[in-house]
Amino acid sequence: MGSRRNNLIVLALVVVLLGVAAYFIFIDEPVTRSTQLGLDLQGGVSAQLEGSQTGGGKVTREEMVQAADLIRQRIDRLGVAEPDVRVQSENQIVVQIPGVKNPDEVIRIIGSTAQLGFYQVLAAGPQPNVPQDEIEQTRQDITETLEDDEAYDKAKTKILFEETPSIQGRGTDVNGYVVSKDPDLTGDSLKQNGANVEFDQTTGKRIVSLELTAEGGRQMGELTQRMLNDSLSSGEPAQLAIALDQDIQSAPTVQDTLGQSISISNDGLPNGLPEDEARQLETVLNTGALPVNMQVISQTTVGPTLGLTSLKSGLLASLVGFGLVLLLLFVIYRALGVVADLALLIYAFLLWGLIVIIPITVTLPGIAGIVLSIGVAADANVVIFERIKEEIRRGKTPRSAIQAGYDKGFRAILDGNVTTLITAFILFALSSGSVRGFAVLLAIGVVLSMFTAIVITRALLGLLSDRGIHLSPALMGVSKSSISATQEARVR
Amino acid sequence: MFDNVDFVGGWKLYFSLSAILLLAGIIAIALGGLNFGIDFQGGAQFTVANAERQLSDDQVRAALPEDIAGESVVTTLGENGYEVRTPVVSSQEEQSQIRDSLSQAVGGEVSVTTVSPAFGEQLRNQALQAVVAALIIILAFISFRFEFSFALAAMAALVHDILMTIGFYAIVGREVSLVTVVAVLTVLGYSIYDTIIIFDRIRENAPTVGYNRRRFDEMINRSIRQVVRRSIYTSIFTLIPITALLIFGEATLSDFAFALLVGIAAGTYSSIFIASPVLSLYKAWRAGKLQAARST
Repeated sequence: MGSRRNNLIVLALVVVLLGVAAYFIFIDEPVTRSTQLGLDLQGGVSAQLEGSQTGGGKVTREEMVQAADLIRQRIDRLGVAEPDVRVQSENQIVVQIPGVKNPDEVIRIIGSTAQLGFYQVLAAGPQPNVPQDEIEQTRQDITETLEDDEAYDKAKTKILFEETPSIQGRGTDVNGYVVSKDPDLTGDSLKQNGANVEFDQTTGKRIVSLELTAEGGRQMGELTQRMLNDSLSSGEPAQLAIALDQDIQSAPTVQDTLGQSISISNDGLPNGLPEDEARQLETVLNTGALPVNMQVISQTTVGPTLGLTSLKSGLLASLVGFGLVLLLLFVIYRALGVVADLALLIYAFLLWGLIVIIPITVTLPGIAGIVLSIGVAADANVVIFERIKEEIRRGKTPRSAIQAGYDKGFRAILDGNVTTLITAFILFALSSGSVRGFAVLLAIGVVLSMFTAIVITRALLGLLSDRGIHLSPALMGVSKSSISATQEARVR
Repeated sequence: MFDNVDFVGGWKLYFSLSAILLLAGIIAIALGGLNFGIDFQGGAQFTVANAERQLSDDQVRAALPEDIAGESVVTTLGENGYEVRTPVVSSQEEQSQIRDSLSQAVGGEVSVTTVSPAFGEQLRNQALQAVVAALIIILAFISFRFEFSFALAAMAALVHDILMTIGFYAIVGREVSLVTVVAVLTVLGYSIYDTIIIFDRIRENAPTVGYNRRRFDEMINRSIRQVVRRSIYTSIFTLIPITALLIFGEATLSDFAFALLVGIAAGTYSSIFIASPVLSLYKAWRAGKLQAARST
């Protein structure tokens, strides 16, 4: 044990490991791409969504997986690179998308349930030219008026709203509609990929055309025929409301029975539907409705500049901290310190290698975990070196002091690291997202630091003392006076 | 090192020192000094990086939409950054509105984080669960490896460290976020590690039979002297990189580093000056009780 041959084998192994790490960090992929950075460091959008049933029932795992699939498809259609969509715990979905230019659009698209509904308008309450800050109040007023309408029946109908920019003048047109509680026709009647952004042939305005299935077309024919009949008897125009979730997209007046082709349009604007709105409609309608209602419960958008600033400050802090630890180890432990410094450098490089190979996404808390693990790694050496110095003060030769230091120091290191590992596991089990990154890096750092201190430092020290290099007590940071003092104390 | 310090006998001094600091912290908490971030109460946070114009916090607040300006908190980050915390924003539209008005006012890039109140509550519960779980597991761990009196003393030190960290947070008014809870948990791990190292020596040096207060206290002092150098070096080696984080790290990292700095410093102090005297006092109290029971 501890023979020169064993030490050489250990060091050869370490060199091989370093080579493997270097290969993955620098050669397999360019260094700027090999290390995966979290969104908080490279910029991007992440959102946590919570699924719920309309009636308050329980959301199943299958529904969540299905919803995650649909959300992934929607993001793919936006042409955004490498989205990460995962189901988390019972009813949450985490979406992470690096480097997005239009975060608002993305959030809107992934979050909307996108249940398409066609409704016969039973009563309408229009209010044109509403200023921005009075919309909320106007909606309440319209609701009160419509609730007094004879068409309104709390058990069978509901009130939906449409908000569009006013044609003439400023502000928003707010329209309230009384419609039946359930849609007369749903998105199920839409053909596959049946929604398309087009331009109206007569007006040239942008619209989203909807192509219905044969069955859907037949039902639409029946619905519009019924509406026209009602209109004849009441004298009011027949209006068809097209709603996405609880928002009316458009409510055209029906002149004739409709078949398989209908369209969502906005005649109020000079160019019809705004382009991004039309594209969003097309995307969510073609991917279909989510099986559950989704609500965004937390959302983070980090710009690339902020990410870079965080990365720089994190790296600077780690490097300065690391440098000072190396320096202090040398000042206190001299020759032993140089060996420990070498071991710490190896440790840092191997840790980097592991981060790339596993791979672990480095986040801001992850950097904190790395910095903390540098302290842990240095501590493992401190525990052993203190024991070695203690043995030297008692008059042992450096070589047997090193042996004793490792034998007695090992248990203390193991004990201490077990408590840190317990903390890391609790953190991992009870948290989510970036905190997990901290826990994983801390745990890996702790295990790797034990390996470095116990295997690598020991092999290096063993080789040094074998090679006939005389490690005097002073070289190890033990003064002559403290040796004699300790020995006198022992004699006494 | 510390050859002439009576770690056990001077407990009145050490305890009062801690008591003064803890009291200051508790007063700060009572006065509402704890500044909870959006993680725990919901809300939105807008971070401006690379701002082109330098405005005062009030000027930035004035640029926000009227209905939320009054309840928003603006802080300056470094030379050209701002952080704006607002109450919960209900819609995507409102959020983009705030973001647009900010980027119009100061220029630069605006990053956004929003947390719904329900999710904030969930995070808060998770955080509390994590801390309680950690305390229970650690208590079980010590009771398993040592005897009850050691576990009691270690718990006293742990509670001391947690209160100290939270108290200092309240005094300086830094933002309490999820990261702070992570830091507190990490402090728990470190503090218990320190305490265990000292208790390990005490157990090793403890006589197997007979309790004599003077001998026991002398033995505790001797044990601490044997490991105190290691305790202090460990703290220094951990505190150095943490200090670097505090100085060079941006908002999140520096908050994290601050909690660790206070917690680990408190942990080192408490394992020497709180845990060990508590152990001695408890032993003496129990011995006194046993004697009283025997003499009646």
